[in-house]
Amino acid sequence: MAVSDFIIRLAYGLEESGRYQRIKAAAYDLLENPHARIRPYFDIFMMLLVLSSVFFLLYSVKHHLGVWSDYYEDVVVTLFILEYLGRMWVYDDVHRIILDEYEKSDLINEPFRLSRALWTIMRSKWNYVSSPMAIIDLLAILPSYRPLRILRLFLLFRLFKLFRYAHSIQQFSSVLREKRLELFTLFSFLMFVLLVGSSAIYLFEARETGGDIEGFFEGIYWALVTLSTVGYGDITPHTVEGRLVTMILIISGLGVISFFTSIIVSAFQEKMGEVRDRRVSLMLEKKKGYTVICGFGRVGQVVAEYLTRDKLPFVVIDSDEDTVDLARRLGYLAVQGKAERIGLLQTLGVGRSAGKILCLTGDDVVNVFVTLSARQLDENIEIISRANHHQTVNKLLHAGANHALEPFKIVGLIAGEYVGQPVAFEAIHGIVMGEDDIRLEAIRVPPGSWLDGRTIGDVPLKEMRLILFGVITALDRSSDQVRSHFDLEEQRFQFNPGADFVLLGEDMLLVFGHQYSVMRLRQKLKAGRWRKVNA
Amino acid sequence: MRKTRKNIVVVGATPVGLEVARQLAQRGQDVSVVDDSKADVSKAVSQGFAVKQINLQDDDELRRVGIGSEVDVLFALLNDDASNVFLVISAKAIAPHLPVVSISGSRDTIERLYAAGATKVIDPYRISGYKIYELMHRSVIAETMERTVFGKVDLDIAEVHVEEGSFLHGKYLDELSLDEHYNLIVLGVVDRHFGDHLIFATDPRRHRMDSGDVLVVIGPEEAFARFHRDLGEEERDEPSA
Repeated sequence: MAVSDFIIRLAYGLEESGRYQRIKAAAYDLLENPHARIRPYFDIFMMLLVLSSVFFLLYSVKHHLGVWSDYYEDVVVTLFILEYLGRMWVYDDVHRIILDEYEKSDLINEPFRLSRALWTIMRSKWNYVSSPMAIIDLLAILPSYRPLRILRLFLLFRLFKLFRYAHSIQQFSSVLREKRLELFTLFSFLMFVLLVGSSAIYLFEARETGGDIEGFFEGIYWALVTLSTVGYGDITPHTVEGRLVTMILIISGLGVISFFTSIIVSAFQEKMGEVRDRRVSLMLEKKKGYTVICGFGRVGQVVAEYLTRDKLPFVVIDSDEDTVDLARRLGYLAVQGKAERIGLLQTLGVGRSAGKILCLTGDDVVNVFVTLSARQLDENIEIISRANHHQTVNKLLHAGANHALEPFKIVGLIAGEYVGQPVAFEAIHGIVMGEDDIRLEAIRVPPGSWLDGRTIGDVPLKEMRLILFGVITALDRSSDQVRSHFDLEEQRFQFNPGADFVLLGEDMLLVFGHQYSVMRLRQKLKAGRWRKVNA
Repeated sequence: MRKTRKNIVVVGATPVGLEVARQLAQRGQDVSVVDDSKADVSKAVSQGFAVKQINLQDDDELRRVGIGSEVDVLFALLNDDASNVFLVISAKAIAPHLPVVSISGSRDTIERLYAAGATKVIDPYRISGYKIYELMHRSVIAETMERTVFGKVDLDIAEVHVEEGSFLHGKYLDELSLDEHYNLIVLGVVDRHFGDHLIFATDPRRHRMDSGDVLVVIGPEEAFARFHRDLGEEERDEPSA
C-alpha cells in the first residue's frame, strides 16, 4: 500500500513539475518531433556517427586499430543506447498512465491496483519495443559483442539505422510497402519457379548423373543465378535436358525481372506527386511568414507575379493539374490538391509558419470553407478572400477573413470613375495600380529620428519632387489645424496638413512621387542625420 | 464635377455588367443594359434589372439602341473575349468616335481589344490581384485610398479644365498653391495637345497652363465647391471688366 501511495505521489509530482515537462519536451523535439528546428542537425549527426562506426568496424576486418577505436566504439554504442532509452522514454508518459489508472479507479470507487497500471505501462512500452524501427535500433547496438562472428551481420542493422534519419530512404520503403501485394505475388511466383528449376536441374545435372551440381543447395543457387539473368557460369549444364531447363528458366527469368521493374517504376510514378509535395513542404519549413495562395486563376497569377517581384516566399495550391503545371513551369512552389482538405493546409504550414492565406478560387463556397478552416487552424493568420458575389462578402468576414475583395465591384467602381472623368481617371489609375513611375508611397517616421518632432515645413518635399498627400497618425492626435481628416480603422488620416503640422515618431507620410525620390527620402531617414539637399 | 448626365449602354447581363450598371446608375448616369443571351437576360430581369434582349450581331439593332446617335459611352462586358472583340469592332464601325470600354479575361486579349478600337480595356483580374497584393503589403495605403478617394464621400479626384480667361490660364503649376488656398492637392496636369500623359506637378520642366489643359486635383468636396465658385465668378467677371 505504501509503495503505491508513494508512486502516485511521485506521479503527481512529475505532472506538476514544470522542469520535468520542459526536459521531456526538449527530448521529444530532439528525437521525434519532425518540425523541431534541431531535428535536421540531430539527424545528420547521428548519420555521421553510424557511418563512421561502420567504417571503423569494416576497416578493422583487415587492419588493427589502436585502443582509441575501441573507445570510440564504446562512445557510439553508449550514444545509441541513450537514444534507444530516450525514445522509449518519450514514447508515452508513464506518470500519466498511473494517474489515469488512479483517477479511473477513484471514479468507480475501487481500490487502486498498482499491478494493473504496471501492466498498461508494460503493454504501451512493448508497443514501442516491438516496432520495426526500435528493433533495428536494438540490433544496431549488438555488434559490440564481437566474439561471435554471426553477430557481424548485425553490423548491417547499424546501416539500417540510417532509415531513421534520412527521409528519402523512408519514402523508398513506403513505396515498397504500398506495393506489398504485388511484390508478394511476384515473390510467390519466383519461389515456385525457383523450386521447379532447382529440382529439375538437380535431377538432370547431379554429379551422379554426370553434371556439375554437388547438392540441392547448389541447385537453388544455380537456378537463382540463371533466373536473375546474372549467369556467373561457374556451374553450367552439360546434358540436353539440363540445357532445356536452362532455356525455360532464362525466359521466365526475363518475365520476373520485367515484372519487378514495372512494379517499382509504377509505384514511384504514383508516388512522384507526393514526393514533390513533400519537397515543397520541406522547403517551406525553412521559411516563415510566407503566403499560401489557394487558387491559381488569373487573380492568383497576378498576385504571384507581384510577390515574385518583391522576392517574397509563397506557395500555390490548385486542384487543377494543368494550372499547377503552369505554376511549376513559372518556377513557383506549387501543390496539387483541394485547399478544402485541412490536412493539406496543415502540411503547408497553416497554423505554424504561414503568415497569410489568400482564397482566390472562382467558387465562393470553396473560398468561405477555406477561410473558415484557416481561421480555425490559426487565429492570427491574415486571410484575404475573393468574393465572386456581393452576398458572399459578409459570409467571408463572418468566417474570419480579414479582408474580402469583390473583383466585379472594383470593375464597377473603375467604370464609374472612368465615365465621370476620363482624364483624371487615366492619370490616377497608373499611379494607384503601381504601373507608373510615379507612385503613392507611405514613409514611416522612425521614432527618435531627425524628423521626429519637426514640422512638415522642415521636410524639403518640394526640392525632392514629392507631393504630400497626407499624414497618417494615431487616432487620438488632434486635427485642429488640419482642414480635413478621416478616421481609418486604427489610425487617422490627416489630409493636406499645413506646413506647421508637427510630425511625431510612428507617423506615416503619404507622398506622391517618383520611386527614386521616395527611395531617397527613405534613405535619408535611415541615415539618421540631415544633410541639406542641393536643390 | 459629375454635372452632365451621360447616356450609357452596358452590353452584357453578366455579373460584371450588372455591377457596372448598378454603380453607374448610383452615380446618376442614364444606363441601359442589353444582351443577346436569353438565359442571361431572364436571369437579370428576375434580379430586378431592366434588360433588353437584342441580336448583337445585327448592326441595325445596335443602332436602334442608340449607338451612333445619343449614346455617350459603350461598355462591352460580355463573358466571352471573342464576343467582346466583335462587339467593339461593330460599334466602332457604326460610330468611330464612340468611347468603348471593355474587359478582358486574359492578357493577350487586351491588345486585341485595343486593336479592335476599344478606348479603355479593364483587366479585372489584374486589378484584383494588385489590390490583394496591396492589402497584404501596403495595407495603410490600400485602406486610405479605399476610405477616401474610392469611397463614396470624403475625398474626390477630379479634373479641372483650364479655360480661356480663367485665372489659371497662363500660370505655372507651382505658382498656384491650391493646397494652402483651397485645401486641394494638384497631382499634375494633362496637356491634351501632347496626349493623355500626366505631367506630374513636381516635374522639373515647368508647365505653363493654357486652355485645353486638364488639372488633376484631389480634395474634399466642399473645397472643390469653393474653387469652382471662384473660377466661375472670375469667368463671369471677365467680360464686364
